[in-house]
Amino acid sequence: MTASLTLYMLAASVLAGLGIYGVLIAGHLLRKLLALNLLGMAVLLMLITLGARGTGAPDPVTQAMVITGIIISISATSLALALLLALQRVTDETHLDAEPLPPVGEDGDAAGSR
Amino acid sequence: MQLAPAELLLSLVFAPLLAAIAAVMLGARAGRLLAVMVCLVLAIQLLFLGQRFSADGPFDLALAGIAPPLGIRLALDGLNLLLLWLVTLVYLGTSLHAWASIGAGARGTAFWPPWLLMLSALNGLLLSGDLFTMYIGLEIASLSGISLIALDRKADALRAAMRYLLLAMLGSLVYLLGVAVVYAITGALDFALAGSRLPGGAVTIAALLLMTGGLLLKSAIFPLHGWLPPAHGSAPPPESAVLSALLVKVSLYMLYRIWFWMEVPVAGLVSAGQLLAAMGAGALVYGSIAALRQQQLKYLVAYSTVAQLGYLMLVFALPGAWQGTIYHLLAHGLAKAAMFLAAGNMIWALGSDRLDRLPGLDRHIPASVFAFALAAVSLMGLPPSGGFTAKWLMLTAAWAAQAWVWVLLLLTGSLLTAAYLFRVFALTFAPRSPRRRAQPVRRPHPLMELSALALAMLAIGMGFSGTPLLDVLALPPQLLPGAAPGLPAPLHLTPGAP
Amino acid sequence: MTAGTLLDFLIITGLVWLAWQVVAGRELFRAIIMFIALGLAMAVAWARLGAPDLALAEAAIGAGLTGAMLLATYRRLLEHNPAKGGQRYARSSRLALPVAVMSSLLVMLLGLTLVNIMPVEGEVAGQQAIQLMQAVPMENPVTGVLLLWRGYDTLLEMSALVAAWLALRILQPQDAATLPPLSSSIPLLQALLAAAVPIAVLVGGYLLHAGGKAPGGAFQAGAVLAGAGVLLGLTGSLQRSTRASRLLRAGVVLGLIVFSVLGLGQLAFGQPAFAIPGLWTIYLVEGALTVSIALTLLLLFLGSAGVRRPAP
Repeated sequence: MTASLTLYMLAASVLAGLGIYGVLIAGHLLRKLLALNLLGMAVLLMLITLGARGTGAPDPVTQAMVITGIIISISATSLALALLLALQRVTDETHLDAEPLPPVGEDGDAAGSR
Repeated sequence: MQLAPAELLLSLVFAPLLAAIAAVMLGARAGRLLAVMVCLVLAIQLLFLGQRFSADGPFDLALAGIAPPLGIRLALDGLNLLLLWLVTLVYLGTSLHAWASIGAGARGTAFWPPWLLMLSALNGLLLSGDLFTMYIGLEIASLSGISLIALDRKADALRAAMRYLLLAMLGSLVYLLGVAVVYAITGALDFALAGSRLPGGAVTIAALLLMTGGLLLKSAIFPLHGWLPPAHGSAPPPESAVLSALLVKVSLYMLYRIWFWMEVPVAGLVSAGQLLAAMGAGALVYGSIAALRQQQLKYLVAYSTVAQLGYLMLVFALPGAWQGTIYHLLAHGLAKAAMFLAAGNMIWALGSDRLDRLPGLDRHIPASVFAFALAAVSLMGLPPSGGFTAKWLMLTAAWAAQAWVWVLLLLTGSLLTAAYLFRVFALTFAPRSPRRRAQPVRRPHPLMELSALALAMLAIGMGFSGTPLLDVLALPPQLLPGAAPGLPAPLHLTPGAP
Repeated sequence: MTAGTLLDFLIITGLVWLAWQVVAGRELFRAIIMFIALGLAMAVAWARLGAPDLALAEAAIGAGLTGAMLLATYRRLLEHNPAKGGQRYARSSRLALPVAVMSSLLVMLLGLTLVNIMPVEGEVAGQQAIQLMQAVPMENPVTGVLLLWRGYDTLLEMSALVAAWLALRILQPQDAATLPPLSSSIPLLQALLAAAVPIAVLVGGYLLHAGGKAPGGAFQAGAVLAGAGVLLGLTGSLQRSTRASRLLRAGVVLGLIVFSVLGLGQLAFGQPAFAIPGLWTIYLVEGALTVSIALTLLLLFLGSAGVRRPAP
């Protein structure tokens, strides 16, 4: 089983890196939330992988922690979505930065869509 | 039915929780009445629990009758007893303010249930001996607190709440990863038990750093403070008061528990502690200068929080300053809550939060201006006040440790605080310009003024109650061995100590 | 390489590819769809890691409901301002890449170290739970941890969900007139629904019942029931409402009330608080939690404090 655990641990760390990258580059708030949720998944994957170490059944306490993690993450996400919709209603913004950021390059973002 | 005192700890969590549920079911009128009543009930219970604590020392309660590692432990000791008092008093004062300023209308319907839920979560967090339960408590408190910032759905407040929420989510994930690592190496979540099982070494350091990093973000410690001023500056006044006085403090409380109660057997902790304290120094200088430059009253008060949080990091470099630090935490909590309420009243009276509108205000709402002044006395550390006692204790500790940099910083901090607060006074007591004389000034509800005044007087009163409060506050376990103020800090045990 | 390892390898390749699509995908809409797919792939991974309870929860809540909420929000943003739907701004941050790579490497180092060490000697919480399992009338240790031994955490977790609903009461559009209807009814979907909703209720009921022995429990059952509600909402059989009826509010807090009262009620019998006794109390708590979780998750999806039948 250890070989697979190593694989999943590798995946978790790549996902964590991608999540952090996403949080840093995202402009649109929905994108930031996607990235934060991705980071959350990476943390939970790590937790489960750690709980699956050893020979017996997977650790039930880590599993309960993960269920809690999922619930907390949907609570926070839904609050963020409600805030986002309210923000758009009031200010017409979907980004936090007051100034619209220049679209940048390699993702091929259409310039001037705003 | 005979309840053990430890079982009474549950009511500190469940009285506000059930009140929140009742507020959901019965509406705003019931909610605000319950909020005030719950605070009074909590105060009575804390009196009783405090008595038991003085007689018998710390006690704890294993929930479901299952001890750690599997079970969850609620625990009361001197540190959280004092913080529970802070929560109760600040909540009592701010709830009375909100009684009038939020009311029982449509705003009240939305306000009171999360307000009470946050109280329950704060108490639950403070009582918990479990790293994971504290995480959930902090999440509930943050979610409720963030939603209340946006109570009036103003653009600034919505942006601030969003920014706060995103950083809070990031901070909790980092903290959660740290907890996962602790559980993976110790098989326990109770901080005392897990701490005693930590093996030391790189993995332990990683866990500690992750938990610390997440909590620093949530406590808005410089340079991670960016989200705080807009959030605290744009929330309704009672909410700003609770955010500054309590919500940023409980994540620091968790940090203290992790650093000083887990007895982490790592040799490099002293230099890491120096780094934390250096961040505190940065907060002190940066926050004060930023406060000097603000043009809006509530933002000035919010930047003052950024600065004052810096003092609370001193203890990581100077364990001898433990008592002074906690004293500062309490005094700042009371004074800052009073100051936000008073500032809220001043803004309410003027209909604007611009500093240049302040002149002549002292004649119209003297009670609120006086409350602001009393709170300022404590924040500046002038005698007699809780702030003075706190700074005196910290100075003595720094002096005894010959930490001259810190002596200098503590003095500079007080001077800078005086500078930005005197700016407010100078404007408030200045005569009104003839052009502005005609502008109407609204009188706040007496409850709004009295609640600010009462909290400010408590902050001043703390200047007279040093000894009894400090007696309650025993030294944390890790500071005990030879931790007379000034001795080189025994911040860590020897690696692999039993 | 065994078949199992090969499967694991395929799964993690899928995970990484999907995650990359979420972060770097051009279209926001596509990124959300990829996120949902990622959640489902994650559920498969968790099932592989021996955690079917979590796989269920992740598929239903992490991928399903979160995904539905994200899509609904995306649509509402578009309805409000169609011109800005396609915004694909990214911030130019020179720090982003190095920071992300560094943290990824540090997490990798930490994770790979941890995989190869076991907890220090002494009783581990999870093992204690498995041992205690033998004394209780249940077979699923996860449900045991969630309800019997760390039920306090579960109660707090329920409060977190309720806190999110309370936030909706603040943030929802205040004027009932501005609350756009979710959708008009579509005949074909209605017919589909006639079959889907009873099935969801059955599955939810089964999951709740099974939680004692097999994977399942209040959170999974609540999520499936909320899913049925989402379908009803999407076809217009349920409409959003700014006001929650007393009955609905009671349903949202039911789980908190029943769990608190039963948990604290133990003190009256001289038992420790939250020492939930006997099978019927477990079912009572789980049933109440399921109702509250289902209603709260549904309302979080709808983005409104309440829900109502459409006007005829």
